[in-house]
Amino acid sequence: MSDDTRPDDGPTAGEDGSVVDGTDAVTDGGTATREVAGSSNSFVGDFWVNFVRWNIKAVRNPFVIAGSLIQPVIFLVLFTQVFGQIATGAINRGGAATGISYETFLLPAIAMQVSLAAGAASGIGLVNDMEEGLFEKVLVTPMSRTAVFLGKTAAEILRIVVQIVIILGMGILLGADIATGVPGAIGIVCMGILFSLWFVAFSNIVAILTRDQESTIIGANLLQFPLLFVSTAFLPLEFLPGWIQTIATFNPVTYGVDGARALMLGEDVMTVIEVSRFGGVWDTLIPAIVVLLALDLALGGLMVYFLNRASSSSVQ
Amino acid sequence: MDDTQGRRAAIDARGVEVTYSDGTEAVRGIDLEVPEGEFFGFLGPNGAGKTTTIKTFATLLAPTGGTIEVNGFGVEREPRKVRETIGYMAQETSVDLELTARENVRFAAQAYGVPRSERADRIDELLELVDLADVAEKKADEFSGGMKKRLDVATALVHDPPLVFLDEPTTGLDPKARNRLWEYFQRINEEGTTLFLTTQYLEEADQLCDRISVILDGEIVAEGSPMELKRQVGGEILDVELDDADDRERAAEIARDSGVFDGDADVGVSDDGITVTAERARQHGTDLLVALRDADVTVTGFNIRAPTLDDVFLAITGEEPDLDRNGAGSEAADTASEVSAE
Repeated sequence: MSDDTRPDDGPTAGEDGSVVDGTDAVTDGGTATREVAGSSNSFVGDFWVNFVRWNIKAVRNPFVIAGSLIQPVIFLVLFTQVFGQIATGAINRGGAATGISYETFLLPAIAMQVSLAAGAASGIGLVNDMEEGLFEKVLVTPMSRTAVFLGKTAAEILRIVVQIVIILGMGILLGADIATGVPGAIGIVCMGILFSLWFVAFSNIVAILTRDQESTIIGANLLQFPLLFVSTAFLPLEFLPGWIQTIATFNPVTYGVDGARALMLGEDVMTVIEVSRFGGVWDTLIPAIVVLLALDLALGGLMVYFLNRASSSSVQ
Repeated sequence: MDDTQGRRAAIDARGVEVTYSDGTEAVRGIDLEVPEGEFFGFLGPNGAGKTTTIKTFATLLAPTGGTIEVNGFGVEREPRKVRETIGYMAQETSVDLELTARENVRFAAQAYGVPRSERADRIDELLELVDLADVAEKKADEFSGGMKKRLDVATALVHDPPLVFLDEPTTGLDPKARNRLWEYFQRINEEGTTLFLTTQYLEEADQLCDRISVILDGEIVAEGSPMELKRQVGGEILDVELDDADDRERAAEIARDSGVFDGDADVGVSDDGITVTAERARQHGTDLLVALRDADVTVTGFNIRAPTLDDVFLAITGEEPDLDRNGAGSEAADTASEVSAE
């Protein structure tokens, strides 16, 4: 996100983090009657301040950490316990995967569900800031707006990492098996981050456009469920009805889940697009990464546009 | 960078216009010059354009016309420098409820780039100033409205800015909390800080401000010190309280037509009676009472006084000032719906 409200202030915005306007503040012809301490802000400093603020808030508010973990945990436990037996038989019979338990099949999808929930929380955090006047308060400081937003997003990514690690740990306790070991687990975390960003952007766009907490919660939170169900998250593609298969092909969740699942099993699991030129797990990972990256950039760009517009037209 | 009595201008605004994308002309060509060190009051009823103006000066809204220099920097050319040299306190209290008082002030100190070496002292000093030192480690959501407001003040002052914008800072506060804030404002003003305060409370402007501009429908309609403005009203004011509110119109007619006062008398209807502003109201007061008695209008109260800012306000705007101390804040709601502007 660029610094400012006006298209023509580019050169003076000093957005790159260098301390461009430090000490020369107010000394107009020696008439300054009062010394103005120049800002010692740097881009990294601005980033860090906001990163710390959002981390404190996350730790303070148990609902933030637990809230976005509760649903995935319920899904993980209930789905594996209720559908486990039937589903394990089905996925093995179907030939989509062989010799794996439903726990192993489901766990990467639940990891992506965590990313979705955390992405939704991002917009809710922004809308809270808007409602409490803090968004405006931050806009009126000399902080780099890019750094402000990156700091917040980085705190959210840290939370996603922690939550996915917790979920993977729980999954292993329930009997899931990460065939690729620790490198695969790290890969799943990275896939979770990549997968979360488009939804972070989406929930922030909803927040900016509605400026209303309830709308943001409804818009971002409720969307998670249909998105998860019309994807390869809970069952292999071939078990889904034709129309869902069609939707699943265009559903970003499919790419995140397939990417994470490929890392989990160490094999090519993607069936919505058949790629065979990279070999093995990469036949899933490369298309998944390309699709998610493109989506992240597109929605991220849109979000930057809306954020710029929102900050130039002020808030309540 | 004009000089006013040898002082630099903290704010120099010329022909400022703000028109929202829906066509609402919130600010229509105002000129304002606030010299350094002044306690300036921006007075107007709800929806007059106070908040829009202050946001434009604070770089939160781009003006659609005119030029604004704040501390010598153009708000559009060098917004970042403007932001470094101002403090801004929004109409609605903006503190992070999940952070402690100290963390809130620390965040502001870091956001404004207060050097690390000075930060801890500065934070303590500010918490002390707003009397929150003993609850510094408590989360802001445990605070009363007045405490949150004081914390908000601390975060706006943490970088010791030479110019501070206060948008209706005491709206919704009880008298005790309000008086306390007034003391802080006066103290920092005495120490040299320029203050730009918007208010709809005349009492507040009268008490605090060196100079006042009155804004109405996006235009400045009067300017001067509280004394000068009061003098503009002229004469003395006669408040007549009536037993029956239905008699007000008739009583006003009598006051106008009885020939008791000279032609320059201004007769208005108030909540519980009538108000007459006239050069020699004192001399002719008894005559009015007699005329009213003859017309069978029962008078329950009678008072002669010098004009207050309320009267100035009434004379200028034709509106009774908003006396409902807690009902304010609707201007924010008004502007909220207007800010779809680019």
